[in-house]
Amino acid sequence: MRAMIFTMGIALLVGSVQAVAGDAAVGKEKSATCAACHGPDGNSVAPDFPRIAGQHSDYLARALLDYKSGARKNAVMAPMVEKLTKRDIEDLAAYFSQQQGLVTKY
Amino acid sequence: MQALDFRYNRADLFDHKKVPSMKFPSMVPAALAVMLLAWGAPLQAAEAGNAAAGSQKTSMCKGCHGIPGYHTAFPEVYRVPKLGGQHAAYIAKALEEYRAGNRSHPTMRAVAANLTDKDIADLAAYYGAEAPKTAAK
Repeated sequence: MRAMIFTMGIALLVGSVQAVAGDAAVGKEKSATCAACHGPDGNSVAPDFPRIAGQHSDYLARALLDYKSGARKNAVMAPMVEKLTKRDIEDLAAYFSQQQGLVTKY
Repeated sequence: MQALDFRYNRADLFDHKKVPSMKFPSMVPAALAVMLLAWGAPLQAAEAGNAAAGSQKTSMCKGCHGIPGYHTAFPEVYRVPKLGGQHAAYIAKALEEYRAGNRSHPTMRAVAANLTDKDIADLAAYYGAEAPKTAAK
């Protein structure tokens, strides 16, 4: 019984990890609204809008989820994420994280 | 009949040959000047920072942001954002929001709480000065 619960737990964990992986190609199709400010590939031109190209996917997803929940407040982003599903967020995060842009700087 | 006259006069307003003061080309430089001013103001604010000075102030940043793929452990687990090549204006805004308590992340609030305006400008200049990887298209 214990072993069964353990196995199910592992399966759940693996399942949830896989669910985090969005589809970049689908994300690209959903990114038209983002492009207006962040640029088509996430390299925004205007300095007030953050560059998101190359950013870690889990950080991008976290930011969008926080905007959606209200944990992070921003007058521009709040209405943008209103209609996004978790799946949309994962796809968008996958797409922008795979573009060339931001780098880790020591 | 009156209505017709009215329409005719309105049309005159948009005919630059009849109303010289409404010439379209003369308005273009003025509009451009206003747009440039609005555009330049935040840029100048961001450039006030000194990247060299900022490089000496990163001791509280690089332990997390300087390590490729570093994960936060609290309050939730995800990779800390990459800062190299980010717009200086955005980094400054983020730090100001953490310092003011308008953006919630316990660690970042604690770090930003001790930063002066000058520190924030310098750090923003330092991280913003990195050239982003160019798109390999």
